[in-house]
Amino acid sequence: MNALITISVLAVLVLYLGLYKANKALLPVTLLGLAVALFFTINHWNVFTGPTFNDMMSYDNFAVAFSGITITSTMLILLLSKGYFEKISDHVAEYYSIILFSLAGILVMVSYHNMTMLFIGIEIMSVSLYILAGIRKQDFASNEAALKYFLMGAFSTGFLLFGVALIYGAAHSFDLEAIKMHLETNLQTGQAISPLFYTGVVLMAVGMAFKVGAAPFHFWTPDVYEGSPSLITAFMSTVVKTAGFAAFLRLFATCFYPLHDFWMPVILVITIITLFAGNITALYQNNFKRMLAWSSISHAGYMLFAIVSLGSEASYGVFVYAIAYSAASIIAFAGLVLMQANTGSDSFDSFNGLGRKNPFLAFTLTVAMLSLAGIPLTAGFIGKFIMFSNALSSMHTWLVVLAVINAVISIFYYFRVIVAMYFKDAERAELEIPLNFKVVLAISVVATILIGIWPAFLPNVI
Amino acid sequence: MNLLSVLVFSPLVAGLIVLVLPASLQSRYKYVALAATILQVLLSVLVWVRFNPSLGGVNNEHTLQFAEKLSWIQLNVGGDSRLQIDYFLAIDGLSMPFLLLTSLVMFVAVLSSWEITTNLKGYFALFMLLDTAVMGVFTAMDFFLFYLFYELMLLPIYFLIGMWGGVKREYAAIKFFLYTLFGSVFMLLIMVGLYFSVQDPLTGDHTFNMVHMMNPANYVDGSLFAKFSGQLLLGIPARSLAFIVLFVAFAIKVPIVPLHTWLPDAHVEAPTPVSIVLAGILLKVGGYGVIRICYSIFPEAALGYAWWIGLIGVVSIIYGALNALAQRDLKRLVAYSSVSHMGFVLLGIASVTAEGISGAMMQMISHGFLSVMLFFLVGVIYTRVHDREIANFRGLSQLMPQYTFFIMVAFFASLGLPGFSAFIAEAFSLTGAFKSAGVNGLIPRWMALGGSVGILLSAAYLLWTLQRMFFGQLRLSGGEPWRLLLTDVTIREKIALVPLAAMALLLGILPGVVFTQINTSVLDLVKLVNP
Amino acid sequence: MQDIVKTIQGVPLNHYILLSAIIFSIGVTGVLIRRNAIVIFMSVELMLNAVNLLLTAFSAFSNDPAGQVFVFFIMALAAAEVAVGLAIIVMIYRNTNTIDINVMNRLKW
Repeated sequence: MNALITISVLAVLVLYLGLYKANKALLPVTLLGLAVALFFTINHWNVFTGPTFNDMMSYDNFAVAFSGITITSTMLILLLSKGYFEKISDHVAEYYSIILFSLAGILVMVSYHNMTMLFIGIEIMSVSLYILAGIRKQDFASNEAALKYFLMGAFSTGFLLFGVALIYGAAHSFDLEAIKMHLETNLQTGQAISPLFYTGVVLMAVGMAFKVGAAPFHFWTPDVYEGSPSLITAFMSTVVKTAGFAAFLRLFATCFYPLHDFWMPVILVITIITLFAGNITALYQNNFKRMLAWSSISHAGYMLFAIVSLGSEASYGVFVYAIAYSAASIIAFAGLVLMQANTGSDSFDSFNGLGRKNPFLAFTLTVAMLSLAGIPLTAGFIGKFIMFSNALSSMHTWLVVLAVINAVISIFYYFRVIVAMYFKDAERAELEIPLNFKVVLAISVVATILIGIWPAFLPNVI
Repeated sequence: MNLLSVLVFSPLVAGLIVLVLPASLQSRYKYVALAATILQVLLSVLVWVRFNPSLGGVNNEHTLQFAEKLSWIQLNVGGDSRLQIDYFLAIDGLSMPFLLLTSLVMFVAVLSSWEITTNLKGYFALFMLLDTAVMGVFTAMDFFLFYLFYELMLLPIYFLIGMWGGVKREYAAIKFFLYTLFGSVFMLLIMVGLYFSVQDPLTGDHTFNMVHMMNPANYVDGSLFAKFSGQLLLGIPARSLAFIVLFVAFAIKVPIVPLHTWLPDAHVEAPTPVSIVLAGILLKVGGYGVIRICYSIFPEAALGYAWWIGLIGVVSIIYGALNALAQRDLKRLVAYSSVSHMGFVLLGIASVTAEGISGAMMQMISHGFLSVMLFFLVGVIYTRVHDREIANFRGLSQLMPQYTFFIMVAFFASLGLPGFSAFIAEAFSLTGAFKSAGVNGLIPRWMALGGSVGILLSAAYLLWTLQRMFFGQLRLSGGEPWRLLLTDVTIREKIALVPLAAMALLLGILPGVVFTQINTSVLDLVKLVNP
Repeated sequence: MQDIVKTIQGVPLNHYILLSAIIFSIGVTGVLIRRNAIVIFMSVELMLNAVNLLLTAFSAFSNDPAGQVFVFFIMALAAAEVAVGLAIIVMIYRNTNTIDINVMNRLKW
């Protein structure tokens, strides 16, 4: 709770700093505040006694773990933002405070214990993101991204809410525990569960699939990701996606668990479509940013594994996968931002010859691509390994076989970056890499490799 | 610190040293690498000397030697138990000869890396990483660890071909990478399936320990891969499917005939040292994997498919030889001869007789030395004139007598002339194949005959090449400039070639040197597979 | 207050469900087939209002105030969404002088 309060107050504070033209102080204050929030979050670990605030929120280890990831990723992304927003407009404080508000929504999303809080969390996050996506007011792509994101977001919220309403009609409560109890008692006593409930579950699944960008509800993702400013895209594809999955998992893994047999096939189909749609389309991209957008769809597919198989360690799987994916994506987006700032282009060709001129950047990007592709000794491999093991232990053999084929497909497009950097020569100037980028890249690479070699370094916190 | 760990990680340390050395010392990198490989040769000789040939190993953890077992990864994953992965290195007779082979080949490969001129830091760092990975594969006794090392081999090779290769290097690199990766990702699935089926008899945790996987008693009743549970996977008995998947994964590396197309491309595009490592070691990883994992963990499936494996072996022998006959590029010829020679390995293994498996082991070691020698010799010409079309050279024996001597040794050894290692190896493989029909009825006699035809064909293409390139009037398509460039072998090249030739000769005259070391393990393996 | 609940309960629950399902479907159809951003936006509001109606009905029939409280949240957040959404539409109108979403095709997959 303290973390949530800290972040909300911090957002207002940052706005005031902007009002008094203290632009230099914005980033340090934000990072400091987030560090405090992170500290409060970690302090909550293993002190969970039960839901608080009239059972509205539940700060269990699950919430702590995902709050931890999202706050840390946000800090890394903000560290990259030094000097970035200034180029877009003069009112820099807004960016920081909107991102912080969005993060506040995310903290609610990962720790809700009541459908009301789920809705409020999603909306706080989404409304902030609509603004962030369209923050380059003169840029047409940014406008378009904002409008598409907004319309699709509002549309999916409609589905989510209709689902909530139907479930409320059947179970007479918004409380996760109460809904679960309703299901369990009905199943035990052999009473039929109202068809309203089934419809509600499907609608909520559709709504959540929209939010996390799973196929066939993914079509907004690449446009929005491409049109938004790169750092905002980084935020959306790491922090927001992680939070979406945390919310998804909490809903389906705890609350709707008794109906597993009913909704599992639905999610299974969504997973398979997502994997293929993301990977195959990513193959045809010539643009790094758009490739990342499609690859983020395919990674949503891998994360859905946890929800399909729901082994005892599903949350741990998503936790590791989210860390691996966020670390690698942050590196990729950092590289993208540098490339755009220096060459004005984000096609694969603009990476030609980078290996010779910027060995460090090229190395970090390589590690990131390998991790995204799931090559051993990177965190991405451990993430996929846990996901696949979980799925195999619940006998989803076909699913895993399809996923493995997809993992091989993904090699093609991730390696295009590596091929461009190392195998192709081009006359190019050395990119200037500011210190803050170096720090972020180094932290992410160390985390990626460390988890890859020594996964026990990440204790099972959930 | 265990000897094997030092052996595995000393190249990695050398690689790190190369990485931190400033660029001004660029010309010294190769000496760091050379020192590491010399150290490795000495260490593996030490292992060889201290190895106790009376201990079998294979499926008995107590008779594995130089074992080092540390708990490495423990995670709570998947159901009722912990993910338990050990750092478990050990060797037995089936892996020990490969340590010496690897270190010698690596030594030669570093010597031939003198020709590399660009981006030396990256080159030697990757090379040393590759060395570590290969050593790791041959010593790992935990399936997960094995898999990590196995995958770790891919990346350095990918970059080595892609960055220092020929014109079509990008294509060759990704082709190599995808072929191998495709096999190994499915291996990962089988590995996880095995993990869920096998329990450590002491702790009751699931385990990746290969030795435990070889004992049917350790399988959980009714689990996916338990011997008598009769589980079906995608409509096929689970254990048979697992065997096929693992076999394909390793067979791609060997390579077997329908899956061999990456090999000529990779060899042609790769720089000489990488070709040396590819032919000398990586192909053996495939054969080693078949013996160590496919046959030991799924023996009854291996017996069931013996006929097919023998057939694949024979087809590879003949098809590879016929292709070699048709090649115009000397390096492609050598590459196809590798396909042909590795066919004997499969034929020998398929027979599941002591002779056949010993022959297969011997063939891998012998081919390790000989193919390295061949590729090194091709590299010698190529670095001088950047051409290796057979038709462009004639009468080289007048210009380069010492070179011709070495190439004759390599050719005659490869075609199985008595007195050289390949003769012993092929003779044993074929004896095993012949004997099999009478002893266990696994493979018919005509397959052994087919293998003999392969020997004839290899004599044909090697002698024909010898005649075309080295005998007759001196005639070079490059004319006078080439004549000046084509100098005889240098001291450095001799240092690399002499030990290889000596090993081929030594193993041909005294094959017992190897056979005594591996015999107990081979007998144990035969007993395990066909009790 | 009690009267209102009684009045609501005067109509069978199934009718409410049916009605809001119809309104919701109209909203979904509108979003999918209309090309004018404002109309799409209105259709989204229609979906939300269908939800509001449904929640109120359920709340009244099960004598549980939580559903109606939820409606307040939806209204408040929908208002926030409207503010942001209209701002985005105005921004686009300034740049392109149109609110037809068919011009939104610079980004293609």
